[in-house]
Amino acid sequence: MLSADDLSAFVLTFQLAGVSTLILLLLGTPLAWWLTQTRSRWRSPIEALIALPLVLPPTVLGFYLLLSISPSGPIGSLVQALGLPSLAFSFWGLVLGSVIYSLPFVVQPLQTAFSSINRQLLEVSATLGAKSLDRFLSIVLPMSKIGYVTAIVLGFAHTMGEFGVVLMIGGNIPGSTQVLSIAIYEHVESLEYGQAHWLSGILLVLSFAVLLVVYTTNRRGFKVSAP
Amino acid sequence: MIAANIQLQKPGFELRAEFEVPAGGVTGVFGPSGSGKTTLLRALAGLEAGVTGNLVVSGAHWLSGSHSMSVQERLVGFVFQDPCLFPHLSVMGNLLYARNRAKNSSYQIDLEHVCEMLNIHDLLNRNAGLLSGGERQRVAIGRALLNRPAMLLLDEPLSAVDQGGRNYLISILENLFQNIEIPIFYVSHASDEIARLAENLILMNQGRVIAHGELKQVLGKIDTPLNASDEAFSVMRCTIKSHQLAYLTTVQTAGGEVLQVPRQPLEGDSVVRLRIRARDVSLSLQRAQESSILNILPATVVALSPEIEQGTRTVKLDVAGDSLLARVSEYSVQQLQLQPGKAVFAQVKSISLVG
Repeated sequence: MLSADDLSAFVLTFQLAGVSTLILLLLGTPLAWWLTQTRSRWRSPIEALIALPLVLPPTVLGFYLLLSISPSGPIGSLVQALGLPSLAFSFWGLVLGSVIYSLPFVVQPLQTAFSSINRQLLEVSATLGAKSLDRFLSIVLPMSKIGYVTAIVLGFAHTMGEFGVVLMIGGNIPGSTQVLSIAIYEHVESLEYGQAHWLSGILLVLSFAVLLVVYTTNRRGFKVSAP
Repeated sequence: MIAANIQLQKPGFELRAEFEVPAGGVTGVFGPSGSGKTTLLRALAGLEAGVTGNLVVSGAHWLSGSHSMSVQERLVGFVFQDPCLFPHLSVMGNLLYARNRAKNSSYQIDLEHVCEMLNIHDLLNRNAGLLSGGERQRVAIGRALLNRPAMLLLDEPLSAVDQGGRNYLISILENLFQNIEIPIFYVSHASDEIARLAENLILMNQGRVIAHGELKQVLGKIDTPLNASDEAFSVMRCTIKSHQLAYLTTVQTAGGEVLQVPRQPLEGDSVVRLRIRARDVSLSLQRAQESSILNILPATVVALSPEIEQGTRTVKLDVAGDSLLARVSEYSVQQLQLQPGKAVFAQVKSISLVG
């Protein structure tokens, strides 16, 4: 069955996906809101930048990340100047990579949810005395539930399945940076098909269950919000 | 007093509105679609960016030069064409949303009282998305009132409501407007709504305020684009006199002229308003005998509209002190030699008693 290394790969993967998703939500909410509201000329370049991980091979992203977090790179030297431990081959390095890699999977569903809200509802809310933060919390957030569920699931799942970026910047240190996808790869490489089966099977069933829950709630959500 | 002199430049549209209306009662905003009625209302509410000029409401400067009060500070209640209830909240949730954010301390308003005026008691626990157009609009009006606005702005509130619901809603509005003391602006392109609800009128055309003032005074201005068109109408205040004739109710104008209108379930001596479309009024020099037209009134020509639209002119008449408009072909104007001072008979083909 599962070895100690396999178990710690499990825990690490869920920790990584959880922490990354949390950061992505905190980062993605204002970013997506800004993108739906702004008329700035920076909008398109920033949207393109966010979507980049959708088309770029993860290894390319991983390669540039590795360079920038190395002690001579911009992020690496900043981290060093602040007296923090190096990001390379560390958990927080993986978090950084995951956040960048999964950003479009969180920002885009939120952006879609935000932009589908009738602007007049916000105007009504403003005439009733609600300032912008109040409007966001009382109207936008509750009306974007489905968008948030989609963003969380996609962000989490995508981080869970990440391989290329992790391999480039985290390496393959059991118990420290070895995530599930890499552990499976390792097992296959060493012809331990049994182990690979266990990990792959659990991941498959888990992913299916999560998606099933999402699609079921989405459908119910649509029914409730239909006029 | 509400005094406005505001401008707004938008791509392909320019609003220039200058008017003064009393800070109480209902001011109708009337004009063809695209004339800027909605934009004017949004500018008053502070929902349009880039409005310049001055706007003083009961002594408070809502807009002066470059300083503009925010939407939230203006304390307006805005009822949109589309009721725009918050779909994630129940009807009660929508009402409480407004009540919890009310900042105006100059008067109080009771949830119970609002529900009663608008007859929305039975809707309180319903999902906002499952109401009819008329029900939603009533809730939207209640929501605006519970925020205790200093001014109520309604943008064609009847347009998303079907005919049956429309008559009901308009009677509710009429009753409501008599019970609240804040200034109300009511945008509409339907003359019966204006005739029924408005005390003052702002007439708009192509982004400009053409005329403003007391309703009958504005409607009586012969040189407005409204009065050059087939939409011209007049409003008369009458008293219900008797129900002696079958199917008919007799009403009397302030000047003592008697008119017959379709039978009304109203008490004697109640005061009603009549809307008479100018195109339903024709003129003759002699009183027609044995005519199917019930209402033939002696009148004097006061003025003729300067503009001739499609060979037709509007003639302003004096009927025992009330003014009445008639649409008459230019040919008839020549044939009957119509000019100010001429005595004629006005034949009124149709009258609608609007409230």
